[in-house]
Amino acid sequence: MLTFFSQRFEKCKAALILPTIAVLLAIPAYSDDEEDSAKERERMVSEDIARSEWWGERQAVKDEAVLKAMRTVPRHRFVPERQVDRAYGDYPLPIGYGQTISQPYIVAFMTELLKPQADGIALEIGTGSGYQAAILAQVVKKVYTIEIVKPLADSAAKRLSELGYANIETKHGDGYYGWPEHGPFDAIIVTAAASHIPPPLIEQLKPGGRMVIPVGSPFGSQYLFLIEKAKDGTVTQRNVLPVRFVPLTRSEEKEPAAKVKSEP
Amino acid sequence: MSTGAAPRACILHAAVLLLSAVGIAYQIALMRVFTIGQWHHFASMIISMAMLGFGVSGALLAIVRPWLRGREAAVLRWMAVGLSVGIVACYVLSQQIPFETLQLVALEGQWANLLALYVLLSIPFFCVSTCIVAAFMLAHDAIGKVYFFNMLGSGLGAPAAITLLHVAHPSLLPYILAPVAGIAFWLLSWERPRGKWVGALVFLALALFCWQGPRQPIRISEYKGLSYALHFPDAKILARQEGPLSVITAVSSKQIRETPGQISNYPMSELGELPEQVGLFFDAGAVSPVNRFDGNLDSVAYLDYVTGAVAYRVAPPNPAVAILGSGGGSDVLGALAHGARNVTAIEVDPGVFKLVRSELGDFSGHVYDRADVQPVLAEARGHLQSHDTRFDLIALPVQGSFMASTAGVNAMSESYLYTVEALSLYLSRLTANGVLAMTCWIDSPPRAGLKLFATAVEAAEHAGIQEPQRHLACIRSWNTATVLVTKSPLAPAQVEAIRTFARDRWFDLCYLPGLAEAESNRYILLDEPYYFRFAQHVLSSNREEAYSGTPFYVRPATDDRPHFARFVKWGQLPRVMREFGTAWLPYTELGYLALVAALVQSVLVSLVLIVVPLVTLTRRAQRGPVRRRTLACCAALGFAYLFLELAFIQRFQLFLANPVYAVTVVLTAFLTFSGAGSLWAHQRRLTARNQIAAASLAIAACAGVYLAVLDWAFAACAAWPASLKFAASITLLAPLAFAMGIPFPTVMQFLSDRHEPLLPWAWGINGCASVVGALLASLIAVHAGFRWTVAAAIILYSLAALAFWRLEPSK
Repeated sequence: MLTFFSQRFEKCKAALILPTIAVLLAIPAYSDDEEDSAKERERMVSEDIARSEWWGERQAVKDEAVLKAMRTVPRHRFVPERQVDRAYGDYPLPIGYGQTISQPYIVAFMTELLKPQADGIALEIGTGSGYQAAILAQVVKKVYTIEIVKPLADSAAKRLSELGYANIETKHGDGYYGWPEHGPFDAIIVTAAASHIPPPLIEQLKPGGRMVIPVGSPFGSQYLFLIEKAKDGTVTQRNVLPVRFVPLTRSEEKEPAAKVKSEP
Repeated sequence: MSTGAAPRACILHAAVLLLSAVGIAYQIALMRVFTIGQWHHFASMIISMAMLGFGVSGALLAIVRPWLRGREAAVLRWMAVGLSVGIVACYVLSQQIPFETLQLVALEGQWANLLALYVLLSIPFFCVSTCIVAAFMLAHDAIGKVYFFNMLGSGLGAPAAITLLHVAHPSLLPYILAPVAGIAFWLLSWERPRGKWVGALVFLALALFCWQGPRQPIRISEYKGLSYALHFPDAKILARQEGPLSVITAVSSKQIRETPGQISNYPMSELGELPEQVGLFFDAGAVSPVNRFDGNLDSVAYLDYVTGAVAYRVAPPNPAVAILGSGGGSDVLGALAHGARNVTAIEVDPGVFKLVRSELGDFSGHVYDRADVQPVLAEARGHLQSHDTRFDLIALPVQGSFMASTAGVNAMSESYLYTVEALSLYLSRLTANGVLAMTCWIDSPPRAGLKLFATAVEAAEHAGIQEPQRHLACIRSWNTATVLVTKSPLAPAQVEAIRTFARDRWFDLCYLPGLAEAESNRYILLDEPYYFRFAQHVLSSNREEAYSGTPFYVRPATDDRPHFARFVKWGQLPRVMREFGTAWLPYTELGYLALVAALVQSVLVSLVLIVVPLVTLTRRAQRGPVRRRTLACCAALGFAYLFLELAFIQRFQLFLANPVYAVTVVLTAFLTFSGAGSLWAHQRRLTARNQIAAASLAIAACAGVYLAVLDWAFAACAAWPASLKFAASITLLAPLAFAMGIPFPTVMQFLSDRHEPLLPWAWGINGCASVVGALLASLIAVHAGFRWTVAAAIILYSLAALAFWRLEPSK
């Protein structure tokens, strides 16, 4: 019996001591991480987002509110743990279920295209990791976001709640039909390619509102379209950017195959 | 390795026949495998891979020639085993390589993958080639006969493969072909001590493995539609239909919402959601939707909100409609919803009708079994050519997938549906007030829509329409353009109806009689009104300027150059990059770039294969001029043969109305009758140089006659049944193929008699030239057309005759 207790104690001791050490080690490490990630974000914004590429085919994002949001939102908290080291690189990363978190430039560029207003209401189709919603939440009053893959919708909702985003509402569902109960919206952003622009989304766009949507083959050639609804309800569409999402390999465990290439 | 005596002639010939048949069947199987896994431009690469195997084999045998002496029979046997194992092993391994055509420009690693595929897939062909060269060496005084069985085997292998594809998925073919190669090994071992039993054992082991062993499915590119659809959480494969034209996979998912174009202003809340759809994926790529249909045409109201529906604003009421390429039936429903009194639905792929009428019969509301719908299983152009029925509306819906279209993967493929001659034919099948409506996927920067419009203008002129500007209309959404050509000039009311249709649906007007520039480019905004300006230019007297001034190749496709999807203009690339940036380039002309890349690779590899043995042979007592002339002669013959073969495959697609049938019939005719030619050559009725000169003259004469009469003959025989067309094609090609079979075995026999060490090298040169020739022929056909490809082949045969004339000193 004594031996038994002695063994249990040794196990408990190990169980108690190891996390304690880990926590002690983690405190400075965490603050270091935060500091490092802030630096990474700063570099990401200055080098990848706010600067035109030297051959002039990529416009710099200039909207100060958007740049501030990109500097603020901790992107590394939205990527899988094994991808944390690559969180601030200018490429998309796999988040599971065949989905990706878009490359930072595209996130910023699409957000800028929406011309977000501080009192505006935005709808996002394709929550994914929740990163785009978090960026939007910094620049508009309220964000509604829909994700079709249930586990992603659940994990994004949990993550956004943990990070304290109170102005984001997440729903599991088919984004094709939008979210009519909360419409019309000042801004609609679609982060998954569609073969055509869903008519319900056009209907739920407020006159004077803007929608950004990649259309084309979901895998392959796509164009980023800016849809503008005039006050009289007339809709114009403009192809602003050929984008190409190089898809990931089927297995989610594998490394991302490539990055998004994007040029206006 | 043990040496062995030569097998009896009949055994040798039977083995060569079997091995050659397996080789060609494997080649066709791989073409289908990679068409499904990637895209069909891979087909020409497979020919290259095969020829690479032949080239390497020739080079290697040239180097090891001294060692080989006396071991030919053993090499032949073991290569037969190698082939039977390699057929399955190389297929399985090739499906493990994560090659993605569309990543070639984005990821450097993909070039290594492509190279790995080249090397891997050339191995079985290396084995076939080594077997044949070894057979040549064993029967050194009867090369013509061996060559005959080689050609006959190849000629039989092609239709055998196509027949197999009717009943088996392409991924199963390697497992069927491997035991056949095993039979060749069994035969070759028959006369050896215990050979019968060893051969039987090997064959049985192979057969058992192939019958019961694990199967390797085809690795499908992540970029293809089927891969994407299967990512949907609720995706379910409902059925699969195999055939030589395509493998069709029916997938159900609530996320499948395929519309033939944009439906931005479809009032969904008023008219209802899109009906549930099942996607038919052709070779895992292009998708054609099947709509759930219960007989209520209101459920497909969305079909009035795509650009193609504009045709019904112009067509006579209750029109008789022909749909050229009816696919899953969306356009048929569209026609019925617009009041068509009857619809002729022409579809080339039998699998579509089978699926929609049986497995999806209830789902589709038996759309193809309605009294007012006549399904016609035929190639559309061939059907219209052979029937004189008139229609009020002939509609060409969008073909293929948007992705394949805009990525340029079809750049090198022929389409006889969109040539000036084809459109002119369609116009001749319209009633007095009839309308031809063509819809295509459009792209950015604009190309396909411009080309379609230009083709319509020239076709109208070709059909004798005096003022085409009064017969044309064109509208566009963001991803489709519809061009209308009317038989009678458009009335003001019709023009107004088109205007209203476009405005209500937020489509842009590209051309209408009397259209002002300010009216175009209103909804889907382009930097400039490209479409409007191009249309005005093409209809003016400065048409040539419109073509040359556009940075893309937008000159209409013709039957001589039927490559509608070719847009590259080399001279304009700097301007295009300046105006539109470089981003689009690698993604829009992919088929073309892939072919050029393969050509560069094959030239490099071929040079190595020729140079290396040349250096080795220099050490031996071969005189310089002999080597040079052998090189010139064999290379010219290799190029010329492939040029003619590929040119006629392309041309016979028009007649046989089906690419697979064209490949089968032309290959069968060429290979079988070339074999007969080689048998004739073996009899040595003339001196070698006279034999080659006579053959070259005969080839030039035959090809010249074909150039003159082929169009006429095709038109005259268009109404013939398919079986008669096959027989006529083979008969027509027989004299040419017979003559083409003479030069090469004559050269090989000459080398065997006089310069024996050069024999495998010459075989290798011929193989390498064929590698490059297969790809070069495609490029010449695209840029210069069918006639020039044939002319180039005639010149090459003449050069070969000249080189041989100087190779064989006169007696």
